[in-house]
Amino acid sequence: MKTDQASQDLLKTSPYKPMKAKIVRTHKYTDTEKFFRIELDGNKELGHMPGQFVQVSLFGYGEAPISICSSPTQKGTFDLTARRISTGALTPALHKLEAGDTLGIRGPFGTAFPLDKMHGNNILIVAGGLGIVPLRSLIQYILDKRKDFGDVHILLGCRTSKDMLYGDEIASWQKRADIQFNCTVDKGDPDWKGNVGLITSLIPGMSINPKQTYAVVVGPPIMYKFVIVELIKKNIPDNQIVVSLERRMKCGLGKCGHCQIRNVYVCQCGPVFTFEQLREMEGECHEGECYVKA
Amino acid sequence: MLKPKPRVAFFEFTDCEGCQLQVANLGEALLELTKLVDIVNFREIMSEDGQEYEVLIVEGSVASKHDEERLKKIAAKAKVIVALGACATIGGVNNLKNLKSLDEQKKAVYGSVDPVPDAIATKPIDEVVKVDYYIHGCPIYGPEFVKVMECILLGKPYHVPNYPVCVECKQNENVCAYDKGLFCLGPITRAGCNSWLPNHGSVCVGCRGLLDNPASDAQKDILEKYGLTVDGILDKFTLYCASSKESAKYGKEFKK
Amino acid sequence: MQYAVIKKSDLSRWFDSMKEKGKIYGPKKKENSFVFRPIKEFEEMSLEYIPTILPPKKYYFPQKEFLFKFKINPFKTGKAIDTFEEFILFGVHTCDIAGIQCMDVVFNEKPVDPNYLNRKEKMTIIGFECMHYCDEYASCTAVGTHVYKGGYDIMLTDMGEEYALHINSEKGENLVAGKKYISEMNADDKSKLKKASDEKLKRFKNEFSAGSEEVDRAFDKGFFSPVWDDVGKRCVGCTNCTAVCPTCYCFDVVDEVSLNLNDGDRYRVWNYCQMDDFAKVATGEDFRPGRNARQRHRYYRKFKYSVMKFNKYFCTGCGRCTRACMAKINLKETVNALLAERRGQ
Repeated sequence: MKTDQASQDLLKTSPYKPMKAKIVRTHKYTDTEKFFRIELDGNKELGHMPGQFVQVSLFGYGEAPISICSSPTQKGTFDLTARRISTGALTPALHKLEAGDTLGIRGPFGTAFPLDKMHGNNILIVAGGLGIVPLRSLIQYILDKRKDFGDVHILLGCRTSKDMLYGDEIASWQKRADIQFNCTVDKGDPDWKGNVGLITSLIPGMSINPKQTYAVVVGPPIMYKFVIVELIKKNIPDNQIVVSLERRMKCGLGKCGHCQIRNVYVCQCGPVFTFEQLREMEGECHEGECYVKA
Repeated sequence: MLKPKPRVAFFEFTDCEGCQLQVANLGEALLELTKLVDIVNFREIMSEDGQEYEVLIVEGSVASKHDEERLKKIAAKAKVIVALGACATIGGVNNLKNLKSLDEQKKAVYGSVDPVPDAIATKPIDEVVKVDYYIHGCPIYGPEFVKVMECILLGKPYHVPNYPVCVECKQNENVCAYDKGLFCLGPITRAGCNSWLPNHGSVCVGCRGLLDNPASDAQKDILEKYGLTVDGILDKFTLYCASSKESAKYGKEFKK
Repeated sequence: MQYAVIKKSDLSRWFDSMKEKGKIYGPKKKENSFVFRPIKEFEEMSLEYIPTILPPKKYYFPQKEFLFKFKINPFKTGKAIDTFEEFILFGVHTCDIAGIQCMDVVFNEKPVDPNYLNRKEKMTIIGFECMHYCDEYASCTAVGTHVYKGGYDIMLTDMGEEYALHINSEKGENLVAGKKYISEMNADDKSKLKKASDEKLKRFKNEFSAGSEEVDRAFDKGFFSPVWDDVGKRCVGCTNCTAVCPTCYCFDVVDEVSLNLNDGDRYRVWNYCQMDDFAKVATGEDFRPGRNARQRHRYYRKFKYSVMKFNKYFCTGCGRCTRACMAKINLKETVNALLAERRGQ
């Protein structure tokens, strides 16, 4: 097999080798969720778009896919928020790291939220639980380029108020006049003064102009079908309902097969999909199974 | 990570100490390990009898009230508890005792005398104390022991493979035991031993315990394909997997 | 020279002449099966063999493949790309060559896989055409791999007293150059080869009950077919079907740390979609539970998804999955059941 010079050079580097990176700041939001601000070696830009993820490498502990939670408008660094999964190898070790520690990064991988199509439209963001992590990237991006978008409405749902991430930022979002922000918890407590109930209960009362609205939904796998049903009832077209799917992304290169849904490699063709695409995955993607009933 | 040099102690219960022998026979790897840990109690290779330790490695199953109390006591001092070998992890061959009532078994073994008045039904150690690391096998597979020790030292969990021995056996390109007319428990037994027995022309005997989710219904088709009987397979199963935890994984077809 | 002829009695001598080019791997008997092994002497080989337990894949996509060295503290990664040595695969069936061609498209797809491509560049393939069915499990005619279609350096075809050599590359050319006992094919030989090939084609018949267009349609419409539930019920989850497949390339990535707890290697290891935990995420959710869905996934990766992506079947008809299945799940029967269902039978 003859190869030209460019591909010869390509064969000297490995897509499996992570870049060195440094943690510049950490913050523990809950018992299990920790925030990391990361700088790549040599001050390189990661060059991601909202919705993409990276593979975080801790040598000896392995690799794990983690969503990027900062906007590309933030220069020089990017942010990650990781849940500690006590049965796993990587995240408990990651949680022990502090500012100044190093780790490996591969990426960014995957598709981004369709910002070019979303421009000029109204945006409805529905975040359930950890879904706020990749959506923080999108929200920050939209807020930095606020005039490019129409009405912006954010719905946030958590189990309890103690599970809420980015409390400081959320407080600032709530104060802004140019966005609408609603928050609900599944279980109330004496300190909580806001809504109590599932996130789906916030949608029916909204007035939505469906043709001009892009709805972006990210949350636990079980949440999607219930939210999508509500969005369909509001007549939002299938290709304007945008979701991000969780799968076992291992290589990020569309090869290892772990994240595959039917013929789709989520690490390359996703994690961001439209509901229109989810329909094509019928039988292997329970997040999109609502249309049968709708 | 456990720092500085964690102290490691081996204790044994109802067993043959063959798994500790596997550790003693590790050779160079054991010497390397002693640079990282202090072995304070390991009666097969040393005379010291240290009672202070961070890592407790327990071999053998619990077979008496006395065992139970002793295990609780020695476990209380440990930060990390390791179950070593089939007797400790799944009860192993000792579970055969539970197939009949305690009285019957005592009569069969000891006749009219009862030298073990506090005997109880045999159990794996995780029915008494919380186990952090499992090293399956009868005996254990040396390289897996080293791997688990590394995990302990790095402070990460060790995930026992939840795929069958066939995975390793095929990668080692062994001729399938079934193609030689032999009956092998490989398809439903947890891997991790690098298909130790099949590599040497033998068959898997299931000493590492069953997969989390063995396909026992489909297993029946295999029996038919190779002309085997349910009784025959049950005998093989029960050698190592008679404990309630393991037998709960069989399908209805295999329940008598 | 495009076509040449070698006497059967000279094959051993030709084999010896290749030894200096690199290590040679060929088919060898192991108990009642066959395996690819390093071959020192020609006589060790069994050229008439049913497909080996593992395909030759293990030489260009090894069970456990080194990716790079690392240091935990301070963070450091070592050279990622190994240099490989020249090697020769001798006596590879057309089905396994088709398997190599499948892997080629996968690992040439961007981002390209340097490990695979670097290894592949060092590989010389001497094919060996089957003139008879190896056994009843093969379905090479149905997927069109019973005849050679490139992907090798030299192909050997049995013509009775001699072998015909089809020389398909510069590498192949170099292996025959200057060998007095290898002569260019003359008109006589050509008609002999044609006769042998014609007779062979009479023996090989489509093993499926319909042609590829029907197969495509059956997979198109068969995703929710009861065939998968039946297969799923019989599947014991041993993973053998995927372990022995020449076109399965799923893998996992693992770290191994040495006993100084600081230096280590990252590897990729074979992994199979038939494993219980294959699609399970860290939080515990399994996105492809059920052996029916897993078996269906395996078949769709061979007959549908690969067609969508690469316009190619990823089944080479070698029959290994059927031979290795403990539960008698038979690829020909499964595809035929799907076809029968399509026809409303």
